[in-house]
Amino acid sequence: MSFSTFFSNIGMLLSRYWHVFVLEGVKYTLLLAAIAVVGGTILGALFALGKRGKIRPLKWLIGAVVEVVRGTPMLLQLYAGVFMLPRIFPILNEVDDIVSVTVVLVINSAAYTSEIIRSGIQAVDIGQTEAARSLGLSERTTMLHVVLPQAVKNILPALGNEFITVVKETSLASTFFVGEIMTSYLKVKGNTYLTLECLTIVGAIYFILTFTLSKLLQRAERRMKHA
Amino acid sequence: MLDIKNIYKNFGDLKVLKGVSTHVEKGEVISLIGVSGSGKSTLLRCMNLLETPTFGEVWMEGKLLTPVDPYLHAEVIQASNTYKKLREEGLSDEEAVRKIKDEDLLHEKHGREGKEYTALIKKIYQENHLDANLARQKMGMVFQQFNLFNNLTVLGNITLAPVKIGMDRIRKAKRAGRPVTETKESVRAAAEKKAMDLLKRIGLEDKADSYPSSLSGGQKQRIAIIRALAMDPDVMLFDEPTSALDPEMVGEVLDLIKELVKSGMTMVVVTHEMGFAREVSDRVLFVDEGYIKEEGTPEEIFRHPKDAHLKDFLAKVL
Ligand SMILES: Nc1ncnc2c1ncn2[C@@H]1O[C@H](COP(=O)(O)OP(=O)(O)O)[C@@H](O)[C@H]1O
Ligand SMILES: [Mg+2]
Repeated sequence: MSFSTFFSNIGMLLSRYWHVFVLEGVKYTLLLAAIAVVGGTILGALFALGKRGKIRPLKWLIGAVVEVVRGTPMLLQLYAGVFMLPRIFPILNEVDDIVSVTVVLVINSAAYTSEIIRSGIQAVDIGQTEAARSLGLSERTTMLHVVLPQAVKNILPALGNEFITVVKETSLASTFFVGEIMTSYLKVKGNTYLTLECLTIVGAIYFILTFTLSKLLQRAERRMKHA
Repeated sequence: MLDIKNIYKNFGDLKVLKGVSTHVEKGEVISLIGVSGSGKSTLLRCMNLLETPTFGEVWMEGKLLTPVDPYLHAEVIQASNTYKKLREEGLSDEEAVRKIKDEDLLHEKHGREGKEYTALIKKIYQENHLDANLARQKMGMVFQQFNLFNNLTVLGNITLAPVKIGMDRIRKAKRAGRPVTETKESVRAAAEKKAMDLLKRIGLEDKADSYPSSLSGGQKQRIAIIRALAMDPDVMLFDEPTSALDPEMVGEVLDLIKELVKSGMTMVVVTHEMGFAREVSDRVLFVDEGYIKEEGTPEEIFRHPKDAHLKDFLAKVL
């Protein structure tokens, strides 16, 4: 196969399957990643606070979830969410695959994010908390207005990396044909048998997405530094 | 003002305070001196509950800030099962109480003690207890490392607590159905006006919108002091307020503290500035080996020290 056919094939694929790659694939990938990151950050913050809290069983439960998620492959977690859990709890059979996949992504992201947030909170000088408490502020107000704002600033780079990781990890969801970029690849390849060209296109799309995101995040970080 | 009753503080196996009692009168200035690591900061931090005493009680204006220490209430000891058992074994009242105190017998059994004992502790607590957050609003603290909030401007640092606590006050009044005269805006405006007045007093009003990272150590510490003053505290606690400063900035901070002394503020100051302690203190406490080894007027402590360790200490620092 010559280079010229390779490139003309790519051109042909892009013009004919544009909507599959971008309108469907990119849309679902970004949607999945956004839900995973937003949900993961909120749930992760709750995990982090819960783990710092005083309720023992809750601390153990969160600790167990975090360790299991971090200690097993993402693909296995997706299998667990889509195939294994519905076997054990038949009610889950009613749930759409894409919902299961999203929930697994959120919990996975929350496990990693909670550790990022926890270390970010720990990195804030204890003197900040003591000064706030010495003024009579409650634990809650101290956390909300003194500790968390400083923690968020510290962890923004790590959270950005987590976002980019999640964008790439959504590709594993293609195993269940949920419509993100890797699913687009499977569909178009199935129709055209142009494996190499399709892989090149999805590779380029992932790269453009993550590269743009990382540049955007760098800018956000720089702006935070000045605040 | 403050009543420190038989405070013990352990960090794991390390016994830092081993029974410290003292009293801070209104308007009194007390200095805590002693070698580094002797427990001065720990004692100061027990006063506003930044550290929870292992035993003992802290009282502020007749209100109990700590849990009840059964050993400080003979009637509580006498109501315990342990006491009853010792009496049955033939000990006199005094012997039994002494044995329980000395051997810390109640501590082991808190959970399994008699109903009457538990009820008495609960009653003392309910009748006298004041929430630590409320107490701290009336106790300002100034730290060696300044601890200005890095994420807030100077004005934000000074107004955070008055505003948040004002909001709480409004919320509580509303919930209790009491008439509310304040609004969110009036609370904020009052806090900002007060903050600006305080900043003017120390000549730093042009720094209101600066962040702490742009200030000198002396400026930071003076702002930390007025941040505490913005709450109208009844007592101020200082933990080596000048130890982290470059020498040329010590003066401006000490001057501000002296100004507070003149205004009649009650304060407890941990300090290594002996000249300052001598000049402003009504009473000096020498902390050593977990006890207040010696206490007295500056004259008594600095001119006529009795304790051998105090003599050594003064020889080194003077
Ligand atoms: N949070 C803590 N955990 C463990 N040990 C502590 C803690 N705070 C203080 N200590 C120990 O208690 C002792 C007294 O400390 P501190 O009260 O800070 O002394 P000082 O202020 O007189 O220098 C020291 O040995 C110190 O290491
Ligand atoms: Mg100290």
